[in-house]
Amino acid sequence: MNRAKMHRRNVTRLALLAVMVLVAVVFYLLVNSHPEKPKLFQYILSLRLPTLLCMIIACISIGAATLIFQSIVNNRIVTPALLGMNSIYSFLHTAAVFVLGTGSTLFLNANLAFAVDLLTMGVVGTLIYWYLFKKTGHNVLYIMLIGTVLSSLFGSVQSAMIRVMDPNEYDALLGSLVADFNNINGEIILFATIMLLVLAFVLRRELGLLDVITMGRNQAINLGVDYDNVIRKLLFGVVLCMAVATATIGPVSFLGLIVANMSRQIFKTYKHSHLMVGASLMGMLALIGGQMISQHLFHFTVPVSTFVTIAGGIYFLYLLLFKKGAY
Amino acid sequence: MNVVDLIKSYGSKTVVKEVSFTVPKGKVLSLIGPNGAGKSTVMGMISRLIARDAGVIDFEGQDLTKWKSKELAKHLAILTQHNNVQMKLTVRELVAFGRFPYSGSRLTPEDNEMVDKAIAYMELQEYQDQYIDELSGGQRQRAYIAMVIAQDTEYVLLDEPTNNLDIYHATNLMRIARRLCDELGKTVILVLHEINYAAFYSDYICAFKNGRIAKFGPVEEVITKETLSEIYKVDFEIMNIGGKPLTIYY
Repeated sequence: MNRAKMHRRNVTRLALLAVMVLVAVVFYLLVNSHPEKPKLFQYILSLRLPTLLCMIIACISIGAATLIFQSIVNNRIVTPALLGMNSIYSFLHTAAVFVLGTGSTLFLNANLAFAVDLLTMGVVGTLIYWYLFKKTGHNVLYIMLIGTVLSSLFGSVQSAMIRVMDPNEYDALLGSLVADFNNINGEIILFATIMLLVLAFVLRRELGLLDVITMGRNQAINLGVDYDNVIRKLLFGVVLCMAVATATIGPVSFLGLIVANMSRQIFKTYKHSHLMVGASLMGMLALIGGQMISQHLFHFTVPVSTFVTIAGGIYFLYLLLFKKGAY
Repeated sequence: MNVVDLIKSYGSKTVVKEVSFTVPKGKVLSLIGPNGAGKSTVMGMISRLIARDAGVIDFEGQDLTKWKSKELAKHLAILTQHNNVQMKLTVRELVAFGRFPYSGSRLTPEDNEMVDKAIAYMELQEYQDQYIDELSGGQRQRAYIAMVIAQDTEYVLLDEPTNNLDIYHATNLMRIARRLCDELGKTVILVLHEINYAAFYSDYICAFKNGRIAKFGPVEEVITKETLSEIYKVDFEIMNIGGKPLTIYY
């Protein structure tokens, strides 16, 4: 297939996906919304709209972060979530509460707390993963192994802190820490959106280099990319995106893996512009659709993340066992 | 290109010890030597893929580290032996990446012309819309060379390009390296394990041993019974075939 044809095919597919997402959005907002009772309708919308926005923000963050990360490590199975970026975030958040207490101004204002989380996560996360990359010479296996160890290390330290915490503080912490689809962090929507826009603007040059980065370190340097510098900045972006996603809807471990790989399967291209938009749209479709099923079919007894984890786990095994050649 | 007192250590082990040489412009230079002699590390350093510990690499009047990476990519191209790309990429898209230092991802008509020429030069027209992971090893190697040609640099560095290729494809590749020099006027530097390829296709040979240069000079001066036996610790016989000294070792 020649390039022009492929480009057209991919644009068509993207448009199709966008339409599907739009339909899902409309359905999500309107199904069982009782438009005949204005008061109730308004109330239902005021519940669903923030959830919807949070899911959209999280999908964009997860899609972008996963694809960027996979291109950096040159591997299609590793995701930032598998390397424990979520648990580092939870750890840092708990540590902040542990040190400052839930009564501090920093913690009472959701946006301020989010800003602190972003800052610590940005610095600590980037340092840790940057050091790992440098030290292991971008060896994915090592990074994966160390990431898994780090993930449980931070998990343990976090639970140790929780154990010695005042029960009331713990209760407050839990509410802010374990964001999930029925307890989304709606206050930070505006902040998170601005954050993503700023990130995209600041990293616009580096994002343009992603296609070349995927060729691997040697080729990227050969083609004139200031490799170390670019990678550090991109990693910073990945870490912040993961923080945004975790802060808005909580950890959804397999979502990134699913959407990134589905996007690659459907678009069969190296162009990150297509892949990233595709992955984000697919994430939205999965989450919004899943949320509807969870709401109307299971009446909130089964959360979306459960579906995602089950589907993701199966897909992950499928990739490992049957798609070996492709990786 | 002028290399002076290059040093590189990994931990306590010094793998390159005060290596100095001058690359003859417009010629084919091969770096040979036993495993662990430091030839690939030297190649890595002169192509800026490996950071050096000490020494100077003067490239066209300026130290390599002083060059802007993007500018350098228009003058010097390196092809390493490991090129497993993890993405769906057609031959044409790969070759087009060679124009990245000039135009980024937006190709101009001149860029497309260069890509066409590079593909034609490597006789890859019929494969240009195929994905590279569907090609054979030899074809893939040619696609990468086409990318280097599209990059249009005076210097072309090839790190063990004949690895994993059968004799047909390896010989073809050596001919291409020779043509890059003779027809396109490029300076070609190769790291090679096959001494006979080095002897037959290069103008100059730089032989390494234990991190130092054992011998540097025109092919006839380096490919001698004494020098090679000394470097490789193996008995050599030298024969003259087609005016080139070829070796037999056993």
